[in-house]
Amino acid sequence: MTDLTFLALATVTVASSILALEARDLVYGAAALGIAFLGMAGLFFLLDASYVAAFQIAVYIGAVVVLILFTVMLVGPQLGEPPLELKRLSLLAAILLSLLLGTAGAVSSASAFPGPDNCGSGCDLVGLSNALINQYGVQLEFLSLVLAAAVIGALTLAKTETKAE
Amino acid sequence: MEPLTSFFAVSVILLGIGIYGLTTKRNAIRILFSVELIYNAANLNIIAFARLRNPPIVTGQVLVLFTIALAAMEASVGLAIIMLVSRLNVDIDLRKLTRLRG
Amino acid sequence: MGNPIIDLLTSTYFLEIAVFPGLLSIAILGALLGWMERKLTARVQLRVGPLYASPAGGILQMFADIIKLLFKELTIPDGADRFFFIMSPVTALIIGAALLGLIPFAPGIQIANIEVGLPVFLAIVTLSPTIVLLAGWSANSKFPFIGGLRALFQQTAYEIPLWLSTLGVVIVTGTLSLTGIIEYQQNSGWLIVPQLLGAFLFLVTSTAEMERLPFDLPEAESEIMMGWQAEYPGPLFMLAQGPAFVKLYAFSALFTTIYLGGYLGPAPIPPIVWFFLKTILIITLIMLFRSTFPRVRLDQLLRQGWTTLLTLSIANIIIAYFLVVGIPAI
Repeated sequence: MTDLTFLALATVTVASSILALEARDLVYGAAALGIAFLGMAGLFFLLDASYVAAFQIAVYIGAVVVLILFTVMLVGPQLGEPPLELKRLSLLAAILLSLLLGTAGAVSSASAFPGPDNCGSGCDLVGLSNALINQYGVQLEFLSLVLAAAVIGALTLAKTETKAE
Repeated sequence: MEPLTSFFAVSVILLGIGIYGLTTKRNAIRILFSVELIYNAANLNIIAFARLRNPPIVTGQVLVLFTIALAAMEASVGLAIIMLVSRLNVDIDLRKLTRLRG
Repeated sequence: MGNPIIDLLTSTYFLEIAVFPGLLSIAILGALLGWMERKLTARVQLRVGPLYASPAGGILQMFADIIKLLFKELTIPDGADRFFFIMSPVTALIIGAALLGLIPFAPGIQIANIEVGLPVFLAIVTLSPTIVLLAGWSANSKFPFIGGLRALFQQTAYEIPLWLSTLGVVIVTGTLSLTGIIEYQQNSGWLIVPQLLGAFLFLVTSTAEMERLPFDLPEAESEIMMGWQAEYPGPLFMLAQGPAFVKLYAFSALFTTIYLGGYLGPAPIPPIVWFFLKTILIITLIMLFRSTFPRVRLDQLLRQGWTTLLTLSIANIIIAYFLVVGIPAI
């Protein structure tokens, strides 16, 4: 059961991430990217990280993909990407690199990493929230500061333009 | 439970796709896609490795929550820059975008 | 014995997905909600409303409408993006139906009882602005695109107070699972009493998420003629109308679950009847908004969302904090 689900999710994720980069229309690319993120959320579910999966759907698809779509529609079609001389070479390089890394990992692990079947306390929601607040509270505060800075920065970038017009 | 190696394999393939996009694409939005894919590959790797410990640890999930938030910020600032550039320059081809060159 | 197809078709899991609380019941209830809305609005405006489609006050009117729409010609506008044009309403309907899989209708009657039911519900809700934006863009026409952009602004702005208002419930109950929230209410009473402000905020923001009056700017038929649905031909228009009713049903069910004790109620009446009584009460309330309030303007909507509702939902979190910790003696 899990094997089949995993295979389906992995195929969807990989195929739609390739489509995201190769689709001619950027809107299709952004939609494919959204589907890749959904597949990734499914993989997180399989790893018992269900809260992270919900967060992934909400942030990536609810915010990032919508923002990308909005930008694409505003910027307009950017067609005509001429094929680079380097393109096929680096495609080959990337595939070779990933296969090499993958096989090296698989071989070095010998009989694969089985991982404990029952995640137990390691995937516990209470444990996660305790760690997030008690252990990493300061980092969380810094993260929110960075978030505020990013929002202000993005707003400033968008705002100066309307003033100049 | 699927052996964790399969998750690592998916992560590696996504990393490969992301690097391919970074090296061959010229459109700024496509490059942003590639960066997001690499982020996702890293997230999957971190969560899978957190399961590798026996008993599993929760720190991996905390780290991934932080990464997701950071990726969202990066996307928002990046897209704001792309929007600005497209209004000033009409072209978001990163290889032609040499305005800051002295 | 042993025929896997028959085994699958009669298994509880399949029946739950296909019949109740799954797809078939969602379709029938969606159609009935359409009738109910028209009848109710008509009664408020001192009209009669649907009358002829059956002896019982035109209760089959929506089914007659569906049959009529199904036989209309399927035209796709020139220059439209065919893939997204057709896929968007279908996907929106699937997303709406997926929401109902997370709701516990009665003890044991729940398709997916997961530990993080509440965030997953809200996360699925956040998918819908993407779909609406794509639907509006794909029609390659002005009004649909304006409608899609309005839906984007409105739904992303109101998602934040929606999440924050349900956070109060999570703080009080200490669980993210919808079943867990109901179990808490079994011991401590309905959460609408301590979380009155949160319930109010949830009702307002979910009305905005559903794009219903007074927040129906994305489809405002008197301004931009049904907004993102303007170009849809008959059968697809029917599909595009569906998600509105399915979301109404799902949000009312979620409100019932987290604030009104879900299926809990005195014994002689079975839990499922309690659940539907409360849900229909909430649905009626939301439908009465439609005939009571005028539509807000876009700038009013966004300003209220980003200032008033956000402030109130943070205040609600503070209330929930003091409910858990206790009011400090000064």
